[in-house]
Amino acid sequence: MRRTLQVFAAILIPGLSLLISSCLELSCIDETEAFVKAGFYSYSTKSAAIPDSITLYGLNKDSIIYKKVKLTPPALLPLNDSSSVSVFVIKINGIKDTIEFRYWSYPHLISKECGYSMFHTVDTIFHTKHAIDSISRVNENITTENVESIRIFY
Amino acid sequence: MSRASGYFISLILVISSLTVDVLAQDTIQFPLKFRLGFEVTGAAKYFYEKERVNLEGNFSIDLNEKVSAILVAGRSDYSYSRYRDTSFLMYDYSTKGYYFRAGFDFNLLKPKKSQGKYAVSIGFRYGMSHFDYELPTITHENYWGKSLTSVPTTNEWAHFIEVNPSVRAEVWKNISVGWTVSLRKMIDPGTGRHLKPVYLPGYGNGSKSFSPGVSYFIIWSIPFKNKRLIIQPEPEEEEDQTGTGQNGENMNQGGFRQ
Repeated sequence: MRRTLQVFAAILIPGLSLLISSCLELSCIDETEAFVKAGFYSYSTKSAAIPDSITLYGLNKDSIIYKKVKLTPPALLPLNDSSSVSVFVIKINGIKDTIEFRYWSYPHLISKECGYSMFHTVDTIFHTKHAIDSISRVNENITTENVESIRIFY
Repeated sequence: MSRASGYFISLILVISSLTVDVLAQDTIQFPLKFRLGFEVTGAAKYFYEKERVNLEGNFSIDLNEKVSAILVAGRSDYSYSRYRDTSFLMYDYSTKGYYFRAGFDFNLLKPKKSQGKYAVSIGFRYGMSHFDYELPTITHENYWGKSLTSVPTTNEWAHFIEVNPSVRAEVWKNISVGWTVSLRKMIDPGTGRHLKPVYLPGYGNGSKSFSPGVSYFIIWSIPFKNKRLIIQPEPEEEEDQTGTGQNGENMNQGGFRQ
Protein backbone atom coordinates (compact mmCIF):
# COMPACT_ATOMS: atom_id res chain seq x y z
CA MET A 1 0.00 0.00 0.00
CA ARG A 2 2.69 2.43 1.10
CA ARG A 3 4.93 1.66 -1.84
CA THR A 4 2.03 1.81 -4.29
CA LEU A 5 0.96 5.24 -3.08
CA GLN A 6 4.49 6.59 -3.16
CA VAL A 7 5.02 5.44 -6.73
CA PHE A 8 1.58 6.67 -7.76
CA ALA A 9 2.08 10.08 -6.19
CA ALA A 10 5.72 10.58 -7.09
CA ILE A 11 6.20 9.18 -10.55
CA LEU A 12 3.11 8.41 -12.57
CA ILE A 13 1.12 11.58 -12.29
CA PRO A 14 3.85 14.18 -12.88
CA GLY A 15 4.51 12.57 -16.25
CA LEU A 16 0.82 12.46 -17.00
CA SER A 17 0.29 16.08 -16.04
CA LEU A 18 3.13 17.24 -18.26
CA LEU A 19 1.63 15.20 -21.08
CA ILE A 20 -1.78 16.80 -20.56
CA SER A 21 -0.30 20.29 -20.35
CA SER A 22 1.50 19.86 -23.63
CA CYS A 23 -1.50 18.46 -25.50
CA LEU A 24 -2.25 19.89 -28.92
CA GLU A 25 -4.33 23.02 -29.35
CA LEU A 26 -7.66 22.49 -31.02
CA SER A 27 -8.52 24.16 -34.29
CA CYS A 28 -11.47 26.49 -34.74
CA ILE A 29 -14.69 24.75 -35.75
CA ASP A 30 -17.23 27.35 -34.64
CA GLU A 31 -19.02 29.97 -36.77
CA THR A 32 -17.10 33.23 -36.39
CA GLU A 33 -18.97 35.69 -38.63
CA ALA A 34 -21.98 37.67 -37.46
CA PHE A 35 -24.33 38.48 -40.34
CA VAL A 36 -27.62 40.28 -40.68
CA LYS A 37 -29.80 37.37 -41.77
CA ALA A 38 -32.55 38.50 -44.09
CA GLY A 39 -35.63 36.57 -45.08
CA PHE A 40 -37.80 37.51 -48.08
CA TYR A 41 -41.57 37.77 -47.89
CA SER A 42 -44.43 38.74 -50.17
CA TYR A 43 -45.93 42.04 -49.00
CA SER A 44 -49.35 40.94 -50.26
CA THR A 45 -49.54 37.49 -48.65
CA LYS A 46 -47.03 38.12 -45.81
CA SER A 47 -45.67 34.62 -46.43
CA ALA A 48 -42.13 33.62 -47.35
CA ALA A 49 -41.36 34.27 -51.02
CA ILE A 50 -37.96 33.56 -52.54
CA PRO A 51 -37.07 36.06 -55.31
CA ASP A 52 -36.03 34.63 -58.67
CA SER A 53 -32.92 36.78 -58.69
CA ILE A 54 -30.96 38.57 -55.98
CA THR A 55 -27.92 40.78 -56.45
CA LEU A 56 -26.30 42.26 -53.33
CA TYR A 57 -23.21 44.37 -52.73
CA GLY A 58 -21.93 47.08 -50.44
CA LEU A 59 -22.26 50.67 -51.57
CA ASN A 60 -19.01 51.81 -53.21
CA LYS A 61 -17.60 48.28 -53.03
CA ASP A 62 -16.27 46.49 -56.09
CA SER A 63 -16.86 42.96 -54.91
CA ILE A 64 -20.32 41.45 -55.01
CA ILE A 65 -21.86 39.32 -52.27
CA TYR A 66 -24.61 37.73 -54.40
CA LYS A 67 -24.85 38.09 -58.16
CA LYS A 68 -28.16 37.24 -59.81
CA VAL A 69 -28.70 34.17 -57.68
CA LYS A 70 -31.83 32.43 -56.52
CA LEU A 71 -30.67 31.94 -52.99
CA THR A 72 -31.96 29.83 -50.19
CA PRO A 73 -32.83 32.27 -47.39
CA PRO A 74 -31.57 33.80 -45.34
CA ALA A 75 -29.41 36.25 -47.27
CA LEU A 76 -26.29 37.04 -45.23
CA LEU A 77 -25.37 40.75 -45.00
CA PRO A 78 -22.02 41.47 -43.29
CA LEU A 79 -21.85 44.79 -41.42
CA ASN A 80 -18.77 47.00 -41.50
CA ASP A 81 -16.95 46.64 -38.15
CA SER A 82 -15.05 49.90 -38.64
CA SER A 83 -18.16 51.99 -39.07
CA SER A 84 -21.52 52.47 -37.44
CA VAL A 85 -23.24 52.63 -40.83
CA SER A 86 -23.35 50.04 -43.61
CA VAL A 87 -25.21 50.60 -46.89
CA PHE A 88 -26.08 47.77 -49.25
CA VAL A 89 -27.38 47.86 -52.80
CA ILE A 90 -29.88 45.08 -53.41
CA LYS A 91 -31.54 44.12 -56.69
CA ILE A 92 -34.63 42.00 -56.22
CA ASN A 93 -35.70 40.52 -59.57
CA GLY A 94 -33.65 43.23 -61.29
CA ILE A 95 -35.12 46.21 -59.37
CA LYS A 96 -32.56 48.16 -57.39
CA ASP A 97 -32.96 49.36 -53.78
CA THR A 98 -30.61 50.44 -51.03
CA ILE A 99 -30.72 49.38 -47.39
CA GLU A 100 -28.89 51.33 -44.74
CA PHE A 101 -28.12 49.89 -41.30
CA ARG A 102 -27.13 52.04 -38.32
CA TYR A 103 -25.72 50.07 -35.43
CA TRP A 104 -23.00 49.74 -32.84
CA SER A 105 -20.42 46.94 -32.66
CA TYR A 106 -18.63 45.11 -29.89
CA PRO A 107 -16.17 42.21 -29.73
CA HIS A 108 -17.36 38.80 -28.60
CA LEU A 109 -15.08 35.87 -27.74
CA ILE A 110 -16.08 32.82 -29.77
CA SER A 111 -13.39 30.59 -28.25
CA LYS A 112 -9.67 30.66 -27.54
CA GLU A 113 -9.06 28.89 -30.84
CA CYS A 114 -11.46 30.95 -32.99
CA GLY A 115 -10.73 34.29 -31.39
CA TYR A 116 -13.12 37.23 -31.39
CA SER A 117 -15.98 38.08 -33.67
CA MET A 118 -17.66 41.47 -33.91
CA PHE A 119 -21.28 41.42 -32.86
CA HIS A 120 -23.67 44.29 -33.55
CA THR A 121 -26.83 45.83 -32.21
CA VAL A 122 -28.93 47.40 -34.94
CA ASP A 123 -30.40 50.76 -34.06
CA THR A 124 -32.13 51.92 -37.26
CA ILE A 125 -32.80 50.60 -40.75
CA PHE A 126 -33.50 52.86 -43.75
CA HIS A 127 -34.37 51.68 -47.25
CA THR A 128 -35.64 52.87 -50.60
CA LYS A 129 -38.99 51.62 -51.88
CA HIS A 130 -38.62 50.53 -55.49
CA ALA A 131 -39.03 46.78 -55.13
CA ILE A 132 -39.06 46.73 -51.33
CA ASP A 133 -42.33 47.56 -49.60
CA SER A 134 -41.09 47.43 -46.03
CA ILE A 135 -38.50 45.88 -43.73
CA SER A 136 -39.36 44.55 -40.30
CA ARG A 137 -36.73 43.98 -37.65
CA VAL A 138 -37.04 40.54 -36.04
CA ASN A 139 -33.90 40.56 -33.92
CA GLU A 140 -31.76 43.63 -33.29
CA ASN A 141 -28.81 41.57 -32.00
CA ILE A 142 -26.57 40.48 -34.85
CA THR A 143 -24.60 37.45 -33.68
CA THR A 144 -23.37 34.12 -35.01
CA GLU A 145 -26.64 32.46 -34.02
CA ASN A 146 -28.73 31.19 -36.87
CA VAL A 147 -31.66 33.52 -36.18
CA GLU A 148 -33.50 35.68 -38.72
CA SER A 149 -32.64 39.35 -38.15
CA ILE A 150 -34.89 41.18 -40.66
CA ARG A 151 -37.78 40.43 -42.97
CA ILE A 152 -37.81 42.11 -46.37
CA PHE A 153 -41.32 42.46 -47.80
CA TYR A 154 -41.36 43.04 -51.58
CA MET B 1 -32.71 -15.94 45.72
CA SER B 2 -32.83 -17.74 42.42
CA ARG B 3 -33.97 -14.45 40.73
CA ALA B 4 -31.02 -12.56 42.32
CA SER B 5 -28.55 -15.16 41.18
CA GLY B 6 -30.06 -14.95 37.72
CA TYR B 7 -29.45 -11.14 37.64
CA PHE B 8 -25.90 -11.70 38.88
CA ILE B 9 -25.13 -14.24 36.19
CA SER B 10 -26.63 -11.93 33.54
CA LEU B 11 -24.48 -9.05 34.82
CA ILE B 12 -21.33 -11.17 34.64
CA LEU B 13 -22.23 -12.19 31.09
CA VAL B 14 -22.79 -8.55 30.04
CA ILE B 15 -19.52 -7.41 31.63
CA SER B 16 -17.63 -10.29 30.09
CA SER B 17 -19.05 -9.51 26.65
CA LEU B 18 -18.02 -5.83 27.04
CA THR B 19 -14.55 -6.96 28.09
CA VAL B 20 -14.31 -9.07 24.98
CA ASP B 21 -15.27 -5.99 22.89
CA VAL B 22 -12.67 -3.79 24.55
CA LEU B 23 -10.01 -6.41 24.08
CA ALA B 24 -10.99 -6.67 20.42
CA GLN B 25 -10.31 -2.95 19.89
CA ASP B 26 -6.97 -1.45 18.97
CA THR B 27 -5.71 2.06 19.60
CA ILE B 28 -3.37 4.17 17.51
CA GLN B 29 -1.88 7.60 17.95
CA PHE B 30 -2.92 9.56 14.87
CA PRO B 31 -0.81 12.69 14.20
CA LEU B 32 -2.86 15.72 13.18
CA LYS B 33 -0.77 18.07 11.02
CA PHE B 34 -0.41 21.46 9.43
CA ARG B 35 0.74 21.23 5.85
CA LEU B 36 2.44 23.72 3.60
CA GLY B 37 2.45 22.77 -0.06
CA PHE B 38 4.13 24.24 -3.11
CA GLU B 39 2.83 23.57 -6.59
CA VAL B 40 5.78 22.65 -8.80
CA THR B 41 4.34 22.16 -12.28
CA GLY B 42 3.68 25.89 -12.69
CA ALA B 43 7.34 26.61 -12.10
CA ALA B 44 8.43 23.65 -14.26
CA LYS B 45 6.21 24.70 -17.16
CA TYR B 46 7.82 28.14 -17.23
CA PHE B 47 10.93 26.58 -18.77
CA TYR B 48 9.09 25.65 -21.95
CA GLU B 49 6.04 27.93 -21.80
CA LYS B 50 7.39 31.42 -21.15
CA GLU B 51 4.07 33.18 -21.67
CA ARG B 52 2.68 31.60 -18.51
CA VAL B 53 3.97 32.16 -14.98
CA ASN B 54 2.09 30.43 -12.20
CA LEU B 55 3.05 30.24 -8.55
CA GLU B 56 0.79 28.45 -6.13
CA GLY B 57 0.97 27.36 -2.52
CA ASN B 58 -1.45 25.90 -0.05
CA PHE B 59 -1.95 25.62 3.67
CA SER B 60 -4.02 22.86 5.17
CA ILE B 61 -4.81 21.72 8.66
CA ASP B 62 -6.23 18.40 9.83
CA LEU B 63 -9.52 18.93 11.61
CA ASN B 64 -9.62 15.24 12.47
CA GLU B 65 -8.24 12.00 11.06
CA LYS B 66 -10.52 12.24 7.99
CA VAL B 67 -11.11 15.90 7.24
CA SER B 68 -8.73 18.75 6.61
CA ALA B 69 -9.41 22.38 5.77
CA ILE B 70 -7.36 23.87 2.96
CA LEU B 71 -6.58 27.36 1.69
CA VAL B 72 -4.86 27.77 -1.68
CA ALA B 73 -3.35 31.02 -2.93
CA GLY B 74 -1.64 31.68 -6.21
CA ARG B 75 -0.39 34.27 -8.64
CA SER B 76 -0.63 33.93 -12.38
CA ASP B 77 0.66 35.98 -15.32
CA TYR B 78 -0.34 34.91 -18.78
CA SER B 79 -0.08 36.32 -22.26
CA TYR B 80 -1.24 34.76 -25.48
CA SER B 81 -1.24 35.72 -29.14
CA ARG B 82 -3.36 33.88 -31.66
CA TYR B 83 -2.46 34.01 -35.35
CA ARG B 84 -4.60 32.88 -38.28
CA ASP B 85 -1.43 32.69 -40.33
CA THR B 86 2.00 34.22 -39.92
CA SER B 87 0.86 37.65 -41.13
CA PHE B 88 -2.57 37.87 -39.52
CA LEU B 89 -2.73 38.41 -35.77
CA MET B 90 -6.23 37.50 -34.62
CA TYR B 91 -5.79 38.80 -31.06
CA ASP B 92 -3.42 39.50 -28.21
CA TYR B 93 -4.53 38.68 -24.70
CA SER B 94 -2.75 39.26 -21.43
CA THR B 95 -3.83 38.84 -17.84
CA LYS B 96 -2.32 38.84 -14.39
CA GLY B 97 -3.91 38.30 -11.05
CA TYR B 98 -4.25 36.48 -7.77
CA TYR B 99 -6.52 33.62 -6.93
CA PHE B 100 -7.72 31.95 -3.78
CA ARG B 101 -9.49 28.69 -3.11
CA ALA B 102 -10.86 27.46 0.18
CA GLY B 103 -12.49 24.17 1.06
CA PHE B 104 -12.16 20.76 2.61
CA ASP B 105 -10.44 17.48 1.79
CA PHE B 106 -11.91 14.17 2.89
CA ASN B 107 -9.40 11.34 3.21
CA LEU B 108 -10.93 8.11 1.98
CA LEU B 109 -8.26 5.93 3.61
CA LYS B 110 -8.89 4.44 7.03
CA PRO B 111 -6.81 6.07 9.77
CA LYS B 112 -4.85 2.89 10.42
CA LYS B 113 -3.72 2.88 6.79
CA SER B 114 -3.27 6.62 6.32
CA GLN B 115 -1.30 7.10 9.59
CA GLY B 116 -1.30 10.80 8.81
CA LYS B 117 1.17 10.07 6.01
CA TYR B 118 -0.97 8.90 3.15
CA ALA B 119 -4.12 10.23 1.63
CA VAL B 120 -6.48 9.35 -1.18
CA SER B 121 -8.86 12.25 -0.94
CA ILE B 122 -11.79 13.96 -2.50
CA GLY B 123 -11.91 17.72 -1.99
CA PHE B 124 -14.35 20.54 -2.57
CA ARG B 125 -13.31 24.16 -2.97
CA TYR B 126 -14.76 27.58 -3.70
CA GLY B 127 -12.45 29.70 -5.82
CA MET B 128 -12.12 33.41 -6.48
CA SER B 129 -9.84 35.12 -8.97
CA HIS B 130 -9.00 38.82 -8.86
CA PHE B 131 -7.38 39.75 -12.14
CA ASP B 132 -6.54 42.42 -14.70
CA TYR B 133 -6.87 41.62 -18.37
CA GLU B 134 -6.44 43.51 -21.60
CA LEU B 135 -6.73 42.91 -25.32
CA PRO B 136 -4.30 45.30 -27.02
CA THR B 137 -5.24 43.99 -30.46
CA ILE B 138 -8.30 42.32 -31.89
CA THR B 139 -8.25 42.02 -35.66
CA HIS B 140 -11.35 41.09 -37.60
CA GLU B 141 -11.74 40.76 -41.32
CA ASN B 142 -14.86 40.42 -43.42
CA TYR B 143 -16.36 41.69 -46.68
CA TRP B 144 -15.66 45.34 -45.78
CA GLY B 145 -12.00 44.72 -45.00
CA LYS B 146 -9.88 44.49 -41.92
CA SER B 147 -10.84 46.21 -38.68
CA LEU B 148 -8.84 46.71 -35.52
CA THR B 149 -10.16 47.16 -32.03
CA SER B 150 -8.87 46.75 -28.49
CA VAL B 151 -10.05 46.35 -24.91
CA PRO B 152 -8.25 48.46 -22.29
CA THR B 153 -6.99 47.03 -19.00
CA THR B 154 -9.95 45.98 -16.92
CA ASN B 155 -10.06 44.71 -13.35
CA GLU B 156 -12.51 41.94 -12.45
CA TRP B 157 -13.45 39.25 -9.92
CA ALA B 158 -14.37 35.76 -11.06
CA HIS B 159 -15.92 32.94 -9.04
CA PHE B 160 -15.79 29.19 -9.56
CA ILE B 161 -16.10 25.88 -7.72
CA GLU B 162 -13.89 22.81 -7.83
CA VAL B 163 -13.97 19.09 -7.10
CA ASN B 164 -10.51 17.73 -6.34
CA PRO B 165 -9.60 14.04 -6.32
CA SER B 166 -6.05 13.80 -4.96
CA VAL B 167 -3.31 11.46 -3.77
CA ARG B 168 -0.56 12.25 -1.28
CA ALA B 169 2.22 10.11 0.15
CA GLU B 170 5.03 10.80 2.59
CA VAL B 171 8.37 10.08 0.94
CA TRP B 172 10.70 11.35 3.66
CA LYS B 173 10.03 12.29 7.25
CA ASN B 174 7.39 15.07 7.14
CA ILE B 175 7.96 15.60 3.40
CA SER B 176 5.22 14.41 1.09
CA VAL B 177 4.48 14.57 -2.60
CA GLY B 178 1.07 14.50 -4.13
CA TRP B 179 -1.09 15.47 -7.03
CA THR B 180 -4.51 16.96 -7.32
CA VAL B 181 -6.91 16.80 -10.22
CA SER B 182 -9.00 19.94 -10.43
CA LEU B 183 -12.43 19.77 -12.05
CA ARG B 184 -13.55 23.39 -12.16
CA LYS B 185 -16.97 24.81 -12.93
CA MET B 186 -17.37 28.50 -13.66
CA ILE B 187 -19.92 30.43 -11.67
CA ASP B 188 -19.18 33.95 -12.94
CA PRO B 189 -16.21 35.05 -15.10
CA GLY B 190 -16.79 38.66 -14.03
CA THR B 191 -16.39 39.94 -17.57
CA GLY B 192 -19.88 39.53 -18.93
CA ARG B 193 -20.78 37.03 -21.61
CA HIS B 194 -19.07 38.75 -24.54
CA LEU B 195 -15.52 39.10 -23.23
CA LYS B 196 -15.05 35.88 -21.30
CA PRO B 197 -11.37 35.58 -20.33
CA VAL B 198 -9.20 33.49 -22.63
CA TYR B 199 -7.25 32.60 -19.51
CA LEU B 200 -8.44 33.15 -15.97
CA PRO B 201 -5.86 32.97 -13.15
CA GLY B 202 -6.59 29.93 -11.01
CA TYR B 203 -9.18 28.57 -13.42
CA GLY B 204 -7.71 28.13 -16.89
CA ASN B 205 -9.64 28.71 -20.10
CA GLY B 206 -12.35 31.13 -19.00
CA SER B 207 -14.29 30.78 -22.24
CA LYS B 208 -15.30 27.29 -21.11
CA SER B 209 -17.78 26.61 -18.34
CA PHE B 210 -15.72 23.56 -17.32
CA SER B 211 -11.95 23.52 -16.92
CA PRO B 212 -9.90 20.49 -15.83
CA GLY B 213 -6.32 20.59 -14.57
CA VAL B 214 -3.66 18.66 -12.70
CA SER B 215 -1.36 20.10 -10.03
CA TYR B 216 1.64 18.45 -8.44
CA PHE B 217 2.71 19.39 -4.94
CA ILE B 218 5.65 19.04 -2.60
CA ILE B 219 4.35 19.28 0.95
CA TRP B 220 5.97 19.95 4.30
CA SER B 221 3.98 18.51 7.18
CA ILE B 222 4.17 19.74 10.75
CA PRO B 223 2.52 17.53 13.41
CA PHE B 224 0.77 19.61 16.05
CA LYS B 225 -1.25 17.09 18.02
CA ASN B 226 -1.61 13.35 18.46
CA LYS B 227 -5.12 12.05 18.53
CA ARG B 228 -5.79 8.71 20.18
CA LEU B 229 -8.06 6.65 18.01
CA ILE B 230 -9.81 3.44 18.90
CA ILE B 231 -9.79 1.21 15.89
CA GLN B 232 -12.43 -1.42 15.49
CA PRO B 233 -10.87 -4.59 14.11
CA GLU B 234 -11.70 -5.24 10.51
CA PRO B 235 -13.74 -8.28 9.58
CA GLU B 236 -11.37 -11.04 8.62
CA GLU B 237 -11.73 -12.27 5.08
CA GLU B 238 -13.35 -15.64 4.76
CA GLU B 239 -10.72 -18.27 4.42
CA ASP B 240 -10.93 -21.12 2.05
CA GLN B 241 -12.77 -23.85 3.92
CA THR B 242 -11.15 -26.61 1.95
CA GLY B 243 -8.92 -28.66 4.26
CA THR B 244 -9.14 -26.22 7.12
CA GLY B 245 -11.18 -28.51 9.29
CA GLN B 246 -12.79 -26.64 12.23
CA ASN B 247 -11.28 -23.16 11.50
CA GLY B 248 -14.69 -21.72 10.80
CA GLU B 249 -15.78 -22.49 14.34
CA ASN B 250 -13.21 -20.06 15.77
CA MET B 251 -15.10 -17.10 14.38
CA ASN B 252 -18.11 -15.54 15.99
CA GLN B 253 -21.21 -14.74 14.01
CA GLY B 254 -20.00 -11.26 13.04
CA GLY B 255 -16.82 -12.64 11.60
CA PHE B 256 -14.62 -11.06 14.31
CA ARG B 257 -11.69 -12.89 15.78
CA GLN B 258 -12.47 -13.47 19.45
